[in-house]
Amino acid sequence: MSKAYHPQVKALLDGERSLADLPPELRAEAEEAERLLGPVDRTPLFLSPALDARVMAEVRRHAASPVRRAWRRLVEPREFELRLRIRPWMAGAGALAVAAAIAFVVLGRPSATPAGGPTPVRVAARDSIYVRFVLYAPGAKRVAVAGTFNQWDQNAAPLVPAGTSGIWTTTLALSVGQHQYAFVVDGERWVADPGAPAVDDGFGRRNSVVAVTARGARAL
Amino acid sequence: MPVPARGPSIILSPCVGEVARLRVREEASDADAVRAVLAGDVEQYAVLVRRYRDRYARYAARMLGSRDAAEDAVQEALVRAFDQLAACRQPDKFAGWLFLILRNRCFAERRRWSREGRRLELTDEAVAGPGRSDGRLERVERARALERALLELTAEQREVFVLKHYEELSYDEIARTTGATVASLKMRMHRAYDRLRELLKEHA
Repeated sequence: MSKAYHPQVKALLDGERSLADLPPELRAEAEEAERLLGPVDRTPLFLSPALDARVMAEVRRHAASPVRRAWRRLVEPREFELRLRIRPWMAGAGALAVAAAIAFVVLGRPSATPAGGPTPVRVAARDSIYVRFVLYAPGAKRVAVAGTFNQWDQNAAPLVPAGTSGIWTTTLALSVGQHQYAFVVDGERWVADPGAPAVDDGFGRRNSVVAVTARGARAL
Repeated sequence: MPVPARGPSIILSPCVGEVARLRVREEASDADAVRAVLAGDVEQYAVLVRRYRDRYARYAARMLGSRDAAEDAVQEALVRAFDQLAACRQPDKFAGWLFLILRNRCFAERRRWSREGRRLELTDEAVAGPGRSDGRLERVERARALERALLELTAEQREVFVLKHYEELSYDEIARTTGATVASLKMRMHRAYDRLRELLKEHA
């Protein structure tokens, strides 16, 4: 097997040194290296004259494709110029209106439930409300919710995983009143809802509590 | 006040005017051509095709070992560049942008061949043929041996060799083009020298 070129010979091949710069003992190796890499053919290469026509035929086909045209319309950046002609007092009134709208959205709508916990979805009937239960249980194989509303039957209300996110959800119609519940993970582990307050069940476990009224549900 | 001298007026006939318009079109800068295409004048893309069809052909041929493969790669790169033209943020640097697309095509093609267990071979005379050298048989044979040996290098080693010794770019220019550092390019190149020495020892 050939040994590696001396670094100074490599520098010669890189064009960073000349043959005259090298010590005499490296001259033979340098000349051999130059002979090896000497026959580099830099003649330009010309491709077939038909290439232009082929490319342009393909380009025209792509340009005419309605799907590609629609896609380009969506992704191509465009410049828009927006000109407004308004009186200064209108700008002030507009800013006030925007601020009022934001305040209404942020502050004006009382929250039905605190963050987390069961969420009311909509009214199911005059005396019941749809309530969504959510549990983050990555790695779980099955999750159910059991409570006073289903006689603590851990098979009655299974939760459904949202893809591979680890989030499990289900929506149940609960009658107006107060309900205690807990999640059952993999059929054996009882877990209180981390988003809702819990009470002692008298047997050493904690149950979460949700209050359902005709206007919604809230975790107690 | 003296009136500045004016040259004679030239009135172009419609035919001459058409020729002039075509010449202007052909001489459009890359940036003008790119903007025209993006504005909907698809035919202006032919200017860019004519301008760049052969510029990187040698690079592609040395990377893929065949004139036919190089021609396919250049064609695909030009069509892909048209499809993605809106993403060309600096139209005046279209050439460098097109080169990166072609480079990706060459590397992707090599990966595909590798997956298929296909071996890179010098498949035609166009890369180093008798008509392309000084005519001396020995030199031609050595050129072909070198190009055959190049195909035994890794894609990264071959690329830096091709860009430096065939395209005659400096390490700084190669670094700007490929995004690699000069130090890593030199390391690749020096390993390539040693490997080529090994592969070509019988021709020494």
